[in-house]
Amino acid sequence: MKKRLLFIFYILSLYSAVWAQTTNVTITGTIFSSEDNMPLIGASVYVENEELEDQDIRESTLGVITNFDGEFSITIPQNIKNLYCSYIGHETFVLPLVKGKTDYTIQLTPTAQMLDAVVVTGYQTIERRKLTAAVSNVNISEETVGAIKSIDQALAGQIAGLQVTSLSGTPGAPIKIRIRGTSSLQGTQDPLWVLDGIPLEGTDIPEHLDNDITNIKQSSIAGLNPADIDNITVLKDAAATAIYGARAANGVIVITTKNGKIGKPKVSFSTRMTYTPTLSTKRLNLLNSEEKVNLELDLLRNKYNEDNKKGGVYHILDRLDLINAYQESGYEALTDEAKAQLLHLQSQSTDWGEILFRDALNQEYNVNISGGSEKVTYYNSLGFFTEKGNVKGVQADRFNLVSKTSYRINNIVKIGASIFANRRKNKIYLTDKYGMSNPLFYSRKATPYFLPYNEDGEYNYDYDIQNNTDTDLGFNIFEERKNTSSKETINALSSIFDLELRFNDNLKITSQLGLQLDESTKEQIAEENSFTMRDIHKSSQYWDSASSSFKRFIPDGGVHKVNKNSNSQITWKALGEYRNKWNQHEFEIMAGTEIRKNWYETLFTAGYGFDKKTLTTKPVIFPDEEKARQFPLHTKTYRENAFASFFSTTSYSFRNTYTIGGSIRMDGSDLFGVDKKYRYLPLYSVSGLWRISNEPFMKSTDWIDNLAIRASYGLQGNIDKNTSPYLIGSYKVETILPDGSEDMITVNSAPNDKLRWEKTHSINAGIDFSMNNQAINLSLDYYYRKGVDLIGMQTLPLETGFYSNTINWASMTNKGIEIALSTRNITTENFSWYTNFNFAYNANKVLKEKIREDATLPSREGYSVGALFVFETAGLDEDGYILFKNKAGEKVTLKELYRLEDPQWGFPMATSDVTPDEERSFLTHKGSSEPPYTGGFINTFTYKNWELSFNLAFNFGGYVRTTPSYNITDFDKGKNTNKDILNRWTHDNKNTNLPALLAQDYRGDEFYWYMFRPDIYRNLDIWVKKLSYMRLQNLRLGYRLPEKALNKMGVSTASVALEGRNLFVAGASYKNYLDPESMGNPFSAPMPKSIILSLNLSF
Amino acid sequence: MKQRIIYSILSITLLLVSCDSFLDIQPVGQVIPNNVEEYRALLAKAYKTVPGNRGLASLRSDEMKVSNTEWDQNAYGYLERWDDMSPLTSNVPFSWANYYQVIFTANEIINNRSTIVFTHKEEVDQLVGEAYLLRAYMHFNLVNLHGQPYTKEGALSTKSIPLRLNNDLEASVYRNTVEEVYSSICTDITNAKELLNVKEWEKKYSYRFTTYAANALSARVSLYMGNWVVAYEESMKLINNPLFNLENLTSESATLPNHYLSQEAITSLELVFNSALNKATEVSSLLYNKYQEGDYRQHLYFSEPNEEGIIKSQKGGSNEFTSTFRLAEFYLTAAEALTQLNKLEEAKELLLQLMQNRLTNELYSTEKEKLLNLSQGDLILEIAEERARELAFEGHRWFDLRRTTRPRIEKTLKVGNEDKTYILEKDDARYTIPIPNAAIQSNPNLTK
Repeated sequence: MKKRLLFIFYILSLYSAVWAQTTNVTITGTIFSSEDNMPLIGASVYVENEELEDQDIRESTLGVITNFDGEFSITIPQNIKNLYCSYIGHETFVLPLVKGKTDYTIQLTPTAQMLDAVVVTGYQTIERRKLTAAVSNVNISEETVGAIKSIDQALAGQIAGLQVTSLSGTPGAPIKIRIRGTSSLQGTQDPLWVLDGIPLEGTDIPEHLDNDITNIKQSSIAGLNPADIDNITVLKDAAATAIYGARAANGVIVITTKNGKIGKPKVSFSTRMTYTPTLSTKRLNLLNSEEKVNLELDLLRNKYNEDNKKGGVYHILDRLDLINAYQESGYEALTDEAKAQLLHLQSQSTDWGEILFRDALNQEYNVNISGGSEKVTYYNSLGFFTEKGNVKGVQADRFNLVSKTSYRINNIVKIGASIFANRRKNKIYLTDKYGMSNPLFYSRKATPYFLPYNEDGEYNYDYDIQNNTDTDLGFNIFEERKNTSSKETINALSSIFDLELRFNDNLKITSQLGLQLDESTKEQIAEENSFTMRDIHKSSQYWDSASSSFKRFIPDGGVHKVNKNSNSQITWKALGEYRNKWNQHEFEIMAGTEIRKNWYETLFTAGYGFDKKTLTTKPVIFPDEEKARQFPLHTKTYRENAFASFFSTTSYSFRNTYTIGGSIRMDGSDLFGVDKKYRYLPLYSVSGLWRISNEPFMKSTDWIDNLAIRASYGLQGNIDKNTSPYLIGSYKVETILPDGSEDMITVNSAPNDKLRWEKTHSINAGIDFSMNNQAINLSLDYYYRKGVDLIGMQTLPLETGFYSNTINWASMTNKGIEIALSTRNITTENFSWYTNFNFAYNANKVLKEKIREDATLPSREGYSVGALFVFETAGLDEDGYILFKNKAGEKVTLKELYRLEDPQWGFPMATSDVTPDEERSFLTHKGSSEPPYTGGFINTFTYKNWELSFNLAFNFGGYVRTTPSYNITDFDKGKNTNKDILNRWTHDNKNTNLPALLAQDYRGDEFYWYMFRPDIYRNLDIWVKKLSYMRLQNLRLGYRLPEKALNKMGVSTASVALEGRNLFVAGASYKNYLDPESMGNPFSAPMPKSIILSLNLSF
Repeated sequence: MKQRIIYSILSITLLLVSCDSFLDIQPVGQVIPNNVEEYRALLAKAYKTVPGNRGLASLRSDEMKVSNTEWDQNAYGYLERWDDMSPLTSNVPFSWANYYQVIFTANEIINNRSTIVFTHKEEVDQLVGEAYLLRAYMHFNLVNLHGQPYTKEGALSTKSIPLRLNNDLEASVYRNTVEEVYSSICTDITNAKELLNVKEWEKKYSYRFTTYAANALSARVSLYMGNWVVAYEESMKLINNPLFNLENLTSESATLPNHYLSQEAITSLELVFNSALNKATEVSSLLYNKYQEGDYRQHLYFSEPNEEGIIKSQKGGSNEFTSTFRLAEFYLTAAEALTQLNKLEEAKELLLQLMQNRLTNELYSTEKEKLLNLSQGDLILEIAEERARELAFEGHRWFDLRRTTRPRIEKTLKVGNEDKTYILEKDDARYTIPIPNAAIQSNPNLTK
C-alpha cells in the first residue's frame, strides 16, 4: 500500500481486480536511471490501455508506481505481453515480458533536449499532454543560457514573443521585458514574476530611466542567484495567466528553484572570473583639441551666441582683452602671446575615455549541497558575486543564501520550508544636478583640452559645465568621485512554507505561505569640496534685509542623506485539487483562495554641515518655511494594501486526445475609495486542445511524435487605482500667512463614478508539432489581443476644476505570430548539433486615443503605441536653414510652415496663427520605438567532451529618437560634441544635410521660434535612427573532464568553459553611439563586452 | 458533481463577504473627507488656491508699468499694452482653472453640508458659510476680469463667465450673463450671512472668512452694482466695529495697512503682488504724482526713485502683504455711496477721518479746506483719486476704472530703445479681458 502513496506524477488508479477468465501473474522489478544509476522513485509502470482492451479486460487502467528504492510490484493478467515504464525527463521504456521471468531490472535513458513532461504554472503542475495554453520554458543552466549575471538576462533571445531590452550596462541595472507587446496605455507594463509559487513584489521597472547611473532602481529579481534556478516558465496567453488575475495582464514569468533529490549528498562548486575590457569612447566621434579650438575660434569670429561666454578660446582672449580685436580683424589681430596660448591649448589633450574607464575583473563563487532520503530532501547554497563597473568606484556585490528542505511527515502530510536571503551592496558616487559626474555623459561633454590636474597634481576646475550662462561653480570629475559617495545596501529575505495533504490519488490539498521583505538603505554623502555641495550652498542663498547682504542658510560642511525603503508582503494561499478518471474520461478541478497584504515604507533624512571624520552635522536655521520646504530634512511615507482572491481551474480530457479547460479568478483589493461593485471582477479563460497525433487515423504516420492544435480565449482586466467615485485627497502641511502652517487636503483627482474595468480580450491559437523522435520540434502561435475600455486621460473643461480625469476611452490591439523551432540536426556517437530558433512578430495598433487639444504631437490612433512622429525635412536652403516638406510636398522654411509674422512690438519674438490642430498635421509617422520583429538563434555543438554554443538575439524594425548632435540656437562652446558639428552647413560646406548654427540677428523670427520651441528641432526626421540589430549574446566553449580520472580524486564531474558575452553587435548604423540600445539615452552605459572563464565541480 | 460546484460557489460567496473587512484599509495620508476637521483642511487648500489675479489686471490700469527688461516684457508687457490678440508662449496668463478649483471645493462642501460629521453644529455652519462666500467671491473676481462691467449700459444681458453651482463633470458648460452671475453672487452672500458665526480668527488664520468678511464682500459687490444704500450700510458695520481701526501712518510705529497684521485687516486672503510680479513692475509717474508732499503714503508705499528714476512698490512681494478686505476701502466705499446718495457732509466726514491718518497736519488742514468746498460731482472725482492713492498696488485700480468711467488711457512706453504710444479708448472693448486661451481650448463652448 505504502508504495502507492509516494510521489505521483501520473494519476493511476489501481484496482484489486478480479479477473474471471485469466490467471494473474505478479511482476516485480527495479528501475534505474542510466545517467547516474540511481533508482528512480515514482516512475510509472503500467499496461497500455489498448492491450487491456485487446485482452477484453474491463479495467481501463492498470499500473503502479515505484517506491523509494525504485522497486515495483504489479499483478497483471498472464497474457499481457508488454509493460511500459515511464518517468519525467526520460524516454518511455517498453519491457517485453518473458514467460516465466518475474523480476526485471530496467534502465531508463534521459531524454536529451526534449520537452518536459510537465509545466509549472505556479498554482499547478500541468502535464504537457493536457496543456491548452501558450507556455514556454527555459532550463537555466550554463550550457543553455551562458554565464549570466542575473535571471532577467537569461531570457534574452530565448523565448518567442518575449522582448528584452537592456536599459543600461551598469552593474545591477534592470532589464525591460515585454511579453507580446504593450497592453496598457498607463499603468505597469512589466510582467509578473513568481518565485516557487509566490508572486514577487518590487519587480516593476520605472518607465523613465533617463539618467544617471546612480539612481537606477534595482528590481527584486536582481537579488536571485541564477545558480539556484532550475528553470523558468513564461506564461503568455490568457489560458495560462487568467489564474493570476489582474496582475497578469502583461504575462507571467514563473521561476522554479532547484530542489534536493533523494540520494547521497552531492556538493557542487562553481566559480567564474569575468574580464570586462575598458570602454572605448572612439565610437562617439568626439572633437579633438585641435578641432574644438578651431571651431571655437570660428564661432567667436562670427559672434555666434555671444551670451555664452564659455570655452577655452574665449577665456584666453578675454583674459588678454582681445575679444573685440579678434572679432574685428581675425586671427592676424592676435598678439603672439595669444597665439602661443591658443597653440598650447590645441596641443593639450585629455583622453577622457582612457582616464575615466578601466578594465574590470569580476568574480563569482557558488557552492551548494543537496541530497535527501525518503523522509527529507534538502538543498542549501551559498553564492557570492562581485561586479566591478568599467567606471572606477562603481561596484555591485551580491551575497546569496538559499536553504530548502522538504519533509514527509507521514503518508498524507508533506511539509516544505525554504529561505532565500540575499544582501546586495551597490557603490557609486553622487550625481550632480547636470549629470556631469556620470562619466559616460561627461566624456561626451568635457572639452578635450581640459586637463583635470595641474602640474602640482591639484585639481583644475571646469567652470563651463553649468547649463546656462553661469560660470560661478567649478567642477572636477575626479574631485567629485573622491568627495561624494552613494552606497546602497539591500537586504532581502523571502521565505516560503508549503503544506501538502494527499488524502488519496484523487484528492489533494496544498497550502503555501510566502513572506517577502526587501529593505534598502541608500546613504549619500557629498563633502564640502565638491561641485554638488557648492551647488547646494549656492541655492541656499537668500537676501537678508536686516544685514542688507546675501546669506546662506545651509551651514558649511557636507551633506549626508539617507533613503530607507522597505517593501514587504505576505501571501497565503490554499487550494484543493480533485482528479479522477472513468474509462477514457479524465476530469480535473482545482479551486482555491489567496490573500495577500503588502506594505511599503520610505524614510528620508538629510543632515547638513556634515563632517565625515566626526560624523557630526550642524543645525540648519531656515529663514522661512518656504525655504525649509525646499530642503526637507525628514520625510516618511507609508502604504498598505490588501488583496483577496478566489480562483478555480478545471479540465476535461477524452481519450487523451481532446482536452478542454477553463479557469476563473476573482480579485478583490482594498482599492481605497473605489466603489465596492468594482472590487471583484471575474477574469476567466476557456481553452481547448486537439491532439491529432493520437487519433486512430494518424496511427500509420509514426514519424510524427506529436501534432496538436491549441486554442484559447480569455479576458484580462485592470482597474485604475487612482480614480474613485468619492473625493479623495492627500494631506499636506501648507502655509498661507506667515507662521500659519496647517493641514490642508489636496484633491488628487476628479471623482468619477463611471469608471469601469479595463478589459483585454485575448485569443490564442497554436500548433505544436514534433517528428522523428523529436528531431524537429515546432510551435507556432498566433495571438490577437484587443484592449477595450482602456483607461486613459481625457481633458476636461477647466470649469470643472480639473485639467483631466481618468476615463475608459482608449482601445488598442496587439496581434502577432510566434515561432519556436528546435531541431536536432546531427547526432552521432561523438558529435551532436542542436539548434533553437525563435522568432516573433508583434503589431501594436492604437484604435482609439484622445489627446489634449493643445498637444503638439499627433494622436497615435492607427499607429503603434510607440509611434514616433517627425517633421520631414527636405534639405537646407541657401542660408543652411532647415527646409520642411509641407503637406503639399513643397519645400518650405520654418517661417513659411508656421506662417510666422514679424514681431510687432520691437521685441525679437515672432507670432504664428497656426493652431495646435494644424501643427499636428505637420508631423508624419516615421515608425515605432517598439521593434516589431524580435527573436533569437541558438546553436549547440558537442564533440566528445567538448561543447560549443552561441546565442544570437535580434530586434528588427524599430526606430529610436536620438538627441540632436548639436543645438542650433544655443550651441554651448564650453562643451564638447561629436564631429557632426564640423559637417554642418557653412558657406564653405554646402553639400550637407546638417543645418547651420543660427545667428540671433539674422532671420530672427525663425531663430526665436526654434529657441522657444526646441521640440521642433528635436523632432526632425534626421535625428530618428533605425533600430535594427543582432547581438551575439554569448559564445561559449566548454570541456567536460574525463570522469575516470576525476573519480580517483573523489570528484564526480568537472567542467571548464570559456565564454564571451556581447562580443559584437551588427545592424543598422549606430554611428556616434557606443551601442544601438543606448542611442536614445546619452547617460546610459552600453552592454559591456566580457570574457568569462568558469569552472564547475561536483562531488 | 453539480452539488460540489454549488457548494464551492456558496463557500466562495461566504468568503467574499468576510473578506470585505480584510480589504478595508484606510491609507495613511489619504482621506475621503468626512468630518468637519477634514472639510476644514479641504477648504484651507481652496483658500490657498485662490489666485491673486487682481494684481495682474492692475497692469492694464495706469498705476504701474512693466520693467523694461526682455524677460519681464515677455511675461507681462502684453498687459500694459492691452495686447490680447497676439499671445506669446512666455506671457503670464490669467488664472482660470484655479478659480474653478476653488469653486469645485466650495460646491463640494455646500453639497455635503448635511452629511458632514460634527461635534458643534456651528462649526459646520461656519464652514458652509465660508464656502458660499468663497464661491461668491470667485465668481465676482471672474466676472470683473472677464465680463463687462455691471454698471455699463446694456452689460447685464451680455455673456460673461460660466457659473458653476454644481460639480457635474459631464455637463456642458456655457457662459452666463453678467446679471445671472451677479444675482448668484448676491444669493450666495445672503446664504453665507445666515451661516457664518466666527467674528475673528487667530491672525495667522485671518485668511478665512468671518461674518465681517460677508459684510465687506457685500459692500464691495453693492458698490460695483451701484447699490449705494447697501454699500453704505455694510461699510458702516465695519467702520463702527471696534475690531478694526485705521492705521495711523503719521505714527512711527505704523504698519503698512495692507500687511496682514495691520489693525485694518478684515480678511487677508489674496497675495495680489507676488515676488515675480513685484519684481517686474514699477510705479508709474501718473500714480506717483497723485501724492502730495506731506502724504505719508508716498514714502511708506514706495521706494525712493533710483538713479534711473525707477520707483518700486513696497506693498507686495511677500506673503505678509496678503490682503483682501481692509478697513480703509470701506471708508472710501461708504463715502462714495453717501456722495452718490447726495449726503455730502457725512461723506466728507468719513474721508477726513481717513486723511487724518494719512497726511501731515499741514497738508491735512489744506486738504480739509479744499474738500469741504467740493460739489457732488467733484467729490466723486476726488474719492476716485483718493481710492487710487489709498489702495494703490492692492489690485483695485483696474476694477475701479471699469466700474466708473472707463476713461481713455494713453501710455508712452519704451520698447527696446524707442518710445511708442499705446491708447485704450474710452469704453474700449479691452476693458474686458478675454477668457484665457487654455480655457477655450479645453472648452470651445466658451466662445459661444
